[in-house]
Amino acid sequence: MTQVASFTIEHTQFLDPQGRRTQTPPAFAQDPQALIGLYKAMVLTRTFDAKAVALQRTGRLGTYASSLGQEAVPVGAAAAMRAEDVFLPSFREQGAQILRGVQMVEILLYWGGDERGSDFAGPREDFPICVPVGTHAPHAVGVARAFQLRGEARVAVCIFGDGATSRGDVYEAMNFAGVHRLPVVFVVNNNQWAISVPRTRQTAAETLAQKAVAAGIPGVQVDGNDVIAVRHVVAAAIERARADKGPTLVEALTYRLSDHTTADDAGRYRDDAEVSAHWKEEPIARLRQHLSDTGHWTKAEEEALITDCAARIEAAASEYLATPPLPPTAMFDHLYAVLPAALAEQRAELEEATEP
Amino acid sequence: MSTFKLPDLGEGLQDAEIVTWHVGAGDHVVADQPLVSVETDKAVVEIPSPQSGRIARLLGEPGDIVKIGSPLVEFETAAQPDTGTVVGVIATEAEPKPAAAKPAAAVPTGKARAKATPAVRALAKRLGVDLSHVAASGPDGAIVATDVERAAAAIAAAGPLEPLRGVRRAMAINMERAHAEVVPATVTEEADIHDWPAGSDVTLRLIRAIAAGCKAEPALNAWYLGRDRGRRLHAKIDLGIAMDTEDGLFVPVLRDVGGRDAKDLRHGLERMKTDVRARSIPVEELRGQTLTLSNFGMFAGRHAALVVLPPQVAILGAGRIAERAVAYEGQAAVRRVLPLSLTFDHRAVMGGEAARFLAAVVADLEQSK
Amino acid sequence: MSETTLVEAVRLALARAMAEDETVLILGEDVGIDGGVFRATDGLMSRFGADRVMDTPLSESLFAGLAVGLGAQGFRPVVEYQFMGFIYPAVDQIVNHAGRLRNRTRGRLSCPMVIRAPYGGGIHAPEHHSESMEALFAHIPGIRVVIPSSPARAYGLLLAAIRDPDPVVFLEPKRIYRAPKEEVADDGVAAPLDLCFVVREGRDVTLVTWGAMIVETLAAADTLAAEGVEAEVIDVAALKPLDMATILSSVERTGRCVIVHEAPLSGGVGAEIAAGLADRGLVNLLAPVQRVAGYDTVMPLPRLETYYMPTEERILRTVRRVLAYA
Repeated sequence: MTQVASFTIEHTQFLDPQGRRTQTPPAFAQDPQALIGLYKAMVLTRTFDAKAVALQRTGRLGTYASSLGQEAVPVGAAAAMRAEDVFLPSFREQGAQILRGVQMVEILLYWGGDERGSDFAGPREDFPICVPVGTHAPHAVGVARAFQLRGEARVAVCIFGDGATSRGDVYEAMNFAGVHRLPVVFVVNNNQWAISVPRTRQTAAETLAQKAVAAGIPGVQVDGNDVIAVRHVVAAAIERARADKGPTLVEALTYRLSDHTTADDAGRYRDDAEVSAHWKEEPIARLRQHLSDTGHWTKAEEEALITDCAARIEAAASEYLATPPLPPTAMFDHLYAVLPAALAEQRAELEEATEP
Repeated sequence: MSTFKLPDLGEGLQDAEIVTWHVGAGDHVVADQPLVSVETDKAVVEIPSPQSGRIARLLGEPGDIVKIGSPLVEFETAAQPDTGTVVGVIATEAEPKPAAAKPAAAVPTGKARAKATPAVRALAKRLGVDLSHVAASGPDGAIVATDVERAAAAIAAAGPLEPLRGVRRAMAINMERAHAEVVPATVTEEADIHDWPAGSDVTLRLIRAIAAGCKAEPALNAWYLGRDRGRRLHAKIDLGIAMDTEDGLFVPVLRDVGGRDAKDLRHGLERMKTDVRARSIPVEELRGQTLTLSNFGMFAGRHAALVVLPPQVAILGAGRIAERAVAYEGQAAVRRVLPLSLTFDHRAVMGGEAARFLAAVVADLEQSK
Repeated sequence: MSETTLVEAVRLALARAMAEDETVLILGEDVGIDGGVFRATDGLMSRFGADRVMDTPLSESLFAGLAVGLGAQGFRPVVEYQFMGFIYPAVDQIVNHAGRLRNRTRGRLSCPMVIRAPYGGGIHAPEHHSESMEALFAHIPGIRVVIPSSPARAYGLLLAAIRDPDPVVFLEPKRIYRAPKEEVADDGVAAPLDLCFVVREGRDVTLVTWGAMIVETLAAADTLAAEGVEAEVIDVAALKPLDMATILSSVERTGRCVIVHEAPLSGGVGAEIAAGLADRGLVNLLAPVQRVAGYDTVMPLPRLETYYMPTEERILRTVRRVLAYA
């Protein structure tokens, strides 16, 4: 018997949970301002999440999926992208969306149940939130193929969760991207839980990164709570793609410190003690500790950041709450490019029935 | 409810200012999860939760100064109700539902509607055809367009619908009422009148015979009131005599036929006929019959089941006098015969009573004078 | 112009669309080198290159999502599914994304894609290769469903579908892929996507159909004509959105309607048409609306296939029953 193939999965980390360097940081991280930018983005994300949850609890927002504890993955990934790249989120990457220019009010409108929330004013080609798990991986491949056909140096970045890696669509997408060497990066936001199904019961594979091996593309793992590592590894994958070297699968290990959604009660299926233990590894405290230890972050700056985030989020929440719903006939708008005659009557009937 | 107090932050600090909360009321938190950031002289410090639990209340706002040891957060001790979903909100019942409605039993319908498609119905309406009178020739008993057109043609050929008025209308109404109430039965006979002298007045002979019948069987000279299920036997015979005229059916009353002689009766009869023809008969003389005679045989017809007009219980019909081949004294012979039909209301009159009445009528008629 | 088959007309339309618009792409299994298992894309790869005519791996779910991504980026992908029996993994992408993307982004992103598949029975194919499930797609909001019934209409409708800014499911009745033939002008003229076609005029009964059933329906119309009954035959073509106006105006004149479809009876698009007639045309009906359709069974294997498919005889029997309502 001869060995015809084997694989290795490498894991990258720069900061341990206490914020101490475990190896020389990458070039970009030598600049404290870059790190502070990442820190501020993560804090804004967490504060926004808290506000969204509070709005849901007071009946002013629908079901919401918080990214508590997972902020480093989307923030790090989005920070590695260029404006002209295209981002395809699942439903827990608001940190990336905000960093790429999606307005907070748009995110609130979406979860508040208004289609206008997906009509991004900022990143016009980014995809909206994807609810059917993993079904956006094929979209990312389509977008990447479009870049390839047009010869553009642009990359599609697609983030999905650990549960999604069990989906056929995700494998089909990686497989196709591999065959055609498409400029796409797949990031697994592995928070260890698919609602109540723990990662160990999601697949027998030891890592999710190794699912890339079957598709013939590189698969790497990164400490998803170390935003420096995430930014670095995703940037490397993006550059590979941009240089026409093909796709990469990046597995970012993190932990879902919140319930699956505001309607879920994780206490039903997981142990609070386990969650407590993971609070010790969370990404924001880690980076703050590091910045503070290296003399690059002060109390005044912390207060200023908190105040600034609160103000921006309050403004977004106020704008959201002050936005009246679309008229009922809006459900017929943008159904087709031009509404077919057969539907014009239905629209007219609704209009008449709901005339103020 | 358990309360978490601001712990000692060290460095001799007495209090701290709340900068921002990280959790809200209703949140489920775990031990070590940051609850709030507070400001001390040196730093902004995150205060972790001491326990797992659900936040009931936050006891302070950003900007508040909280003393060390003061209550900061209240935890719920009651268990959270299960939402039973992972998205949205599913309403729950406050009270138990009422028992499920039973499936509807088959409701007996009235008279079945005519089967016709909408286009055929529209056609019928346009042509003024009542579908309930149209014979259906289509599949499944459906009336088709040609059926409607045929009916319309028939109606057109028949002339316009003439609404009934006056006496005809009254007859229609009275007959409908009679049909609705009376339970008719008919018994027939033939009287051999071959030996009547020439010039006999048939009507007068019939009147006399009826008087004889009532004498033999008074039950036929009565009124039956169905609503009360009561019967009133009359002593006098006020005989209604049916008369067809151009204007309609009249039944004027000859009073007390049992108590008057033939001449008086003849006179009364003549006067009645004149008045009816002249339409000058007073209305009282059209009421109060206790029994009725219909001499329909003046025109044609042998036996008939006539209509008993309530509250009367009987009507005697006299058919056309004709020669008949009969058995007479054991031999075949040709005799003149007067057919008789007695229709009675079987609610009030028994078959035997009717038969005896009729027998007495026949017996009287068969007397030569 | 020469006599062209339906599948050749499809190829002509694809070639024309690709020639006039460089954003048009073809994707699917065996569409490139092999030219498609029915030769619908024969020669297109050598003409337009492997970038634009792409052989995909065996990933039915993937290529529908691929089309969504390409469409959102401004391409016009035309995806071939080898048989309708294999199209079902695409339903996820069609329902959850293609039909929805424009609406949920308020028009910011959209999906000008076409999904083509041969469908229907009558070629004695093995299992799963003969079904008609167009009703599944006709129920999905935000898309179009188109079924041509002749070479000329296949050409015009496919061009229209490719040019349309919204997703179109284009089902090709493979029983009539190669016969009958007719002249097709390769003139780049698209057919309307929201109208029925009246292929035969008549005053006594309206026969409504689509796809390969046009053959049996027209044959029945000829037989009826010999008996003095003039049938009007309507090819629906655009099953969604449905042009009820044409059907209603025909039934207003004839008063009778028989709908013929190969797909199973219950929940078929015939039911939608019957409901439309009941809604707006009831007062004109001289007889009940009838459907001649496949049975509500799994499509049988070839030995029993002919008993499943509606025949001219079944159509005639139904029409005669309807005419008895005079």
